[in-house]
Amino acid sequence: MRKMTIRIVAALAVLTMLFAILAGCSGRNDDVITIGVLAPLSGTETYYGKDMLQSYQLAVDEINKAGGVLGKELVLYEADDGADPNMATQAASKIISRGVDFVVGGYASGAIIPTMQLFYDENLLLLISCANSTDITKQGLEQSFMINSPGTHAVVTLAELCRAVDAKKVALIHQGDAYTKNLSDLCESELPRSGFEIATVEIMEKGAADVSAIVTRIRNSGADFVYWCGYHADGSNVIKQLRRGGYAGEIAVGDGSASVELIKACGADGEGVYVTSPPFVEFAEGGDAFVDAYKRMHGMDPGTYATLSYDTIYLLKEAIERAGGIETERVREEVQASEYQGLSGLISFTPDREPAVSNFIILQIRGDKFRLVTLD
Amino acid sequence: MSTWELILQQGVNGLILGSFYALVALGYSMVYGIIKLLNFAHGDIYMTGAFVCLSVFGALSRFLSGWPAVACSIVAAMFLAAALGFLAQRFAYRPLLGAPRLSLLITAIGVSLVIYNTVMVITNSQPLFFSSGLDSSAGIKIGGLTVTYIQMVLLAVSALVMLGLSLFIGHTKTGRAMRAIALDQDTCRLMGINVNKVIGLTFMLGSALAAIAGGLACVYYGNVQYNMGYTIGIKAFTAAVIGGIGSIPGAMLGGLLLGLLEATGTQLLDSSWKDVFAFGILILMLIVRPNGLLGKTEIERM
Repeated sequence: MRKMTIRIVAALAVLTMLFAILAGCSGRNDDVITIGVLAPLSGTETYYGKDMLQSYQLAVDEINKAGGVLGKELVLYEADDGADPNMATQAASKIISRGVDFVVGGYASGAIIPTMQLFYDENLLLLISCANSTDITKQGLEQSFMINSPGTHAVVTLAELCRAVDAKKVALIHQGDAYTKNLSDLCESELPRSGFEIATVEIMEKGAADVSAIVTRIRNSGADFVYWCGYHADGSNVIKQLRRGGYAGEIAVGDGSASVELIKACGADGEGVYVTSPPFVEFAEGGDAFVDAYKRMHGMDPGTYATLSYDTIYLLKEAIERAGGIETERVREEVQASEYQGLSGLISFTPDREPAVSNFIILQIRGDKFRLVTLD
Repeated sequence: MSTWELILQQGVNGLILGSFYALVALGYSMVYGIIKLLNFAHGDIYMTGAFVCLSVFGALSRFLSGWPAVACSIVAAMFLAAALGFLAQRFAYRPLLGAPRLSLLITAIGVSLVIYNTVMVITNSQPLFFSSGLDSSAGIKIGGLTVTYIQMVLLAVSALVMLGLSLFIGHTKTGRAMRAIALDQDTCRLMGINVNKVIGLTFMLGSALAAIAGGLACVYYGNVQYNMGYTIGIKAFTAAVIGGIGSIPGAMLGGLLLGLLEATGTQLLDSSWKDVFAFGILILMLIVRPNGLLGKTEIERM
């Protein structure tokens, strides 16, 4: 009999706790709009993740000071995806359980893709600021928008560059993950259509120190243009070893390596290297005011994806205002219809929710700086 | 490039890569030979060596530059890595020498994670870039074959270090003590050999070798990152097993062989298949010679 009583009491206690937890979850604050941020805040891509978060913070801070959105304050809630698929799904669950209204972020495509279905299931709108693999929109989830130009836009810009430097045989190097392989595959299928031969496609494992065997293979393939599709930490290594290994042709790197860190890391070997780059703020119209505000708030220079991240928040703000509320479906329609003129240029979307206008620019390393290259 | 130039160039590439593997593999093999421990922290000691080399070089840059500065930095890295190896041995491994082998193994993984994460936090997981100021593309060009001076120095240093180690193990009293302990620890103790001291020395020596490799990697590749020891740790461990773990010439042979196989695989098949090629051949080798190329058949005494 006593046992029975204990059991009932225990069961009641458990139920009460469950109710308490559930009540806690649904306890939303209606005076604020919470935006979940999914970005790599640890690991090798921390530099970019921090830059994204700081740009979001700057935009949110400005908007709140100007009275918020529809009279409500914007609040960010960040979770670290570590640019890693496993960490990203955990981070997504953390954001979802917090009960956010919208989600922004996404640096590595490989990390954001597995989270998309999770957000979709919760009917959350997802604006992906940086990740730009075309695999993202292939998921076919109508609540996920890509802000950054996908690799297809990069390839168009790359082909223009190849023509300008009179390249004939292009060697591609990627790192085997979703983003870099996607970019390499696009080049492999699209460049021949513009009349360029693909000399060879190579893979460099992430963090591998020695690429001399690949360099020898590239030299032997007769390539006169090498396009590095990977990230800057390994990219500097590839560039240095290409030059040391006696490769004398042109080198270009993709947007994953578009960072001033690349210049520092390459040293003298970086001279003349081209970058198919996302819109760097110092080359953007009205960028100076942004740089000043960013420096004042964070005490450092904005990075590669600062403009895109900053624009993401403003695009969302305008869509919410036009929708007149935060109901997902209404805001989604307004985002789809956006014609937002931001720091990174005009942002509008194709029916597939990819950017309709390319935002890629071509930069070249000259001394210790990037220089904007304009092709005729 | 002609076929011969291609073969020679990939041979040089493979030898360079193989020298790094061999230097790190030596430490694995020595430690395993003497206390039957797979020292998983060894790759992290290599990484620490690279960081120390970079920092010392930076600190010295006011007074020294070029090769003298590089040499001083690597020597400093050797001493610090030796100290780190000794500390790990003294405080993490020695208390467990009598414990089951598995506990020792887990401790090694623990030591590895401690070093790895400490460096990760200190460097904020950012890669650091090293610029030695040496002309990295100066060298000898014969037709399409390029060998830089840095590559030559690198090969010479690793050859000298390996030769020195062989002489030390084969021809000194301490070297003889190491070989004796590998055979039978208890008898050595009865014969009056200070076993603990020799084990400590083995760790210091192995760690110093890894630090030489780390320092050379820092100079040659120029990128230093907290996770740089992971891949090379696994590859060097493989090299040690292929050569016959516990065997010093085996570790050198295994390292060079693995480097050459990777370069061959890259050239013959594709860079994505190089590990499949290299490890496929290694599996075949192990099937034919399960104790490795120079390993001795071990008979468990009851």
